[in-house]
Amino acid sequence: MSSGSEDILQFAPWESFVSPTFWHKLAELKLDYDRLSDAQRSISGHYTNRKATGCLLEADYTSFNSTGQPPKFSHAAVGTIYNKNTIEEFKALDKLTLLSNEGKKLLSDMCNDRVAGDPSLLTRFFVLSFADLKCHSYYYWFAFPCPLTPTLKLQGAVTRLSDLTNSSKYAEALQSLAPESQNFFILYANGQQNEVVETRSLSSLNESEVEHYYFGFADPSEYEHPAWLMRNYAAYLLQRFPCFVGKTLRFLGLRYNQQMQMDDSLIWNVVQSEACDLTKTEDVKFVGWELNKNGKMGPRMVCMRDSMDPAKLAENSINLNLKLMKWRLVPDLNLEIISQTKCLLFGAGTLGCAVARNLLSWGFKRITLMDSGKVGFSNPVRQNLYTHADAVAGNRMKATTAAQRLRDINPSAETVGHVLEIPMPGHTIGKSLRAQTEQSLQLIEQQVQAHDVIFLLTDSRESRWLPTLLGAAYQKIVINAALGFDSYLVMRHGSTRDMAGDSGREIEGLKCITGNQLGCYFCNDVTAPGNSLKDRTLDQQCTVTRPGVSNIAASYAVELLVALLQHPQRELAPAYYTQTGRLQISADAGKVPEGLLGILPHSVRGMLCNYENILPATQKFAQCIACSAPVLSAFRNEGHAFLFRTFETAKYLEDLTGISEFKRLNSEIIDFDDAEFDMSEDDED
Amino acid sequence: MIEMTWKEFLAQAQEFLKISEQLGDGWVLYVKDSSEPNTFLKYSQKIKCKESNDGDLTLINVEYHIVYSVSYQVPMLLFQAHRSDGSLLDLEATWRVFMPETASKDLYQMLTQTDHPVLFRPFMALHPCRTAQVLDQFGQPSDNRVLTFISLYGPHVQLQLANAYGLSK
Repeated sequence: MSSGSEDILQFAPWESFVSPTFWHKLAELKLDYDRLSDAQRSISGHYTNRKATGCLLEADYTSFNSTGQPPKFSHAAVGTIYNKNTIEEFKALDKLTLLSNEGKKLLSDMCNDRVAGDPSLLTRFFVLSFADLKCHSYYYWFAFPCPLTPTLKLQGAVTRLSDLTNSSKYAEALQSLAPESQNFFILYANGQQNEVVETRSLSSLNESEVEHYYFGFADPSEYEHPAWLMRNYAAYLLQRFPCFVGKTLRFLGLRYNQQMQMDDSLIWNVVQSEACDLTKTEDVKFVGWELNKNGKMGPRMVCMRDSMDPAKLAENSINLNLKLMKWRLVPDLNLEIISQTKCLLFGAGTLGCAVARNLLSWGFKRITLMDSGKVGFSNPVRQNLYTHADAVAGNRMKATTAAQRLRDINPSAETVGHVLEIPMPGHTIGKSLRAQTEQSLQLIEQQVQAHDVIFLLTDSRESRWLPTLLGAAYQKIVINAALGFDSYLVMRHGSTRDMAGDSGREIEGLKCITGNQLGCYFCNDVTAPGNSLKDRTLDQQCTVTRPGVSNIAASYAVELLVALLQHPQRELAPAYYTQTGRLQISADAGKVPEGLLGILPHSVRGMLCNYENILPATQKFAQCIACSAPVLSAFRNEGHAFLFRTFETAKYLEDLTGISEFKRLNSEIIDFDDAEFDMSEDDED
Repeated sequence: MIEMTWKEFLAQAQEFLKISEQLGDGWVLYVKDSSEPNTFLKYSQKIKCKESNDGDLTLINVEYHIVYSVSYQVPMLLFQAHRSDGSLLDLEATWRVFMPETASKDLYQMLTQTDHPVLFRPFMALHPCRTAQVLDQFGQPSDNRVLTFISLYGPHVQLQLANAYGLSK
């Protein structure tokens, strides 16, 4: 404790402490009541002198109540909020004038002695604010106006209440004081040994008894210095009773600990030797703006997006779920890669919807869908992004509706839908459609280039040809899913990137195919895709699959992608398959090297009828009609002219790659070992 | 095992509140409505903490809720901390403040974020999955298992009950 005899008494400045509920309420009032009005609003704050930390003035949602009861062990402060409509008004407002206007209200309360009736008027504060409700940012500046009056000089040392002779008498008297009168009060002590000690209200003040008075107040300061509010208290007393000038005044800062003991209360003996007249308001200067966090004169800003923006709340919760997976089970899981990978989905039907939703679940943010269809009445039950109302509306396109629904589900997703037909080999394009097809081609090409992953989820084999070719040409990751009635195929296309690093290990019983030697969807075929819808009955053209098949395949497709993205070699990761008979599969399969999320197969072929999956890996076919060198180079050299020729007749592709030649030979390899699976190319309507 | 019914929780929470009122330490019972589990005990305090390594102490307000977990049938400690400007401490910041010594892979098992079962807002929580076991291990140091729970779990997040709770009745 300081002991100098003529020290200037200093005060602990107020520190504003705002609850998030204060901002919630302010936002609500602005949106529902004030709207464009920026009229000032009365608010209240509160402070406590029980186990005080710092020197806090707190504000929460109750601050806006018209009849605010401060919380238990707290006292009310009287305030005003000036909430401006724009950041410019907030900045441009004349801060000096505002402070001085607020200060004059304080002076008027002092000079007209309204303070005697309601001493809480001494704890006046105000807030200048601007609520940026779009960004959930709040700019604010608290001020605690106080007139600049002559300094108070400390007389002797600061004493603790417990050091006074007969201190138990004081404690007794103070205990009898009603909680609501504890903010400002008079402690009267008289007699040789202070035999008479009692508390009195401020309004009973009798200036002739001043030497028997302790001017008591609830002191929210935890520091040696009394709280800022004593400054106004002293100014008020000296204004009301000019005869106090030059006299020693005793102030008692009442401080409780957690157990409600008041031993820590402090007593300051002070003298103000110069007189001043606060009624001459034009001459009075004011201080009281709160310093910001950097200790500078300036406003503060808080961004409440994390707790107030529902989109941000959702995003954080979604991320937390994924992070839990990382923390709990897969510490090396790279969630950043997932959130940055851009996926392009060809087809927004049963598979497209299911894949998109699984992508959202994994935290993929950027999803683009392409589809030419409208939502039909049969769609919503299987295609889980649409509703009956979409079908009733009659004009809702799948691609754009799905993109919208994905954002409805996760507002932080960036989704786009493009309505367009995918040009297909053997589907002749008439003159009238040429220009439109050219446009579609450009958009498709540009979209493939702009994404990292291509999903093939369309309903026909031939519609997968162009995306397969483009995926290969632009070195994208291509994931393909196709459905039969009760069977499915999910595969990753072999990469066209150059091989670097580890090219796979020799493992007994297993064959290894490096990532750039793996085949595509068309590599196993020896016919070019023609019009597969030709000469088919209705049940063959439409979705005739067991409903679970598409969900299973969609899930595998996304999980395969995630496993691939987590693999150090990504799409160049090798695939292994068992050479031996099926009985050996389970034994040898155990030897396949595992990545972060287990093995990374080339393809998953499964059947619902026996609930079985097999994981074949197949080589690239040098004469593949979609990904082989002749096709890619024809596309690179001739561009769209080449594409249009294939749309004219699929035979062109067969001639180009030489498989027409091939077909004439009575080759054995036309019978594939997976013939038993009888994969239908169709997956949905 | 020592699971408790909602009625037991409610009765013991009210009993706890009575002790608190005698001690005057500021716990309150928040009643949203009378249905399960919409009543919980609430307490708040200020804590000075090191939020960053540069050593500056920041003052935060922590609000603690003792809520009944319907799935685990035990009391659950939820809490939320905010700084002087009203911004909330997120999960990572909460870890830094309350469990700076613990490795992050162990943290989620104890202190995680969850939706408040009554208020439906994200809150920090001490995970209730082992509460029944833990309470079981400690037997019956008090007739009031809500009190036992708070005195066992509270200190992990700087929530200390006065010794007087142990002396009462």
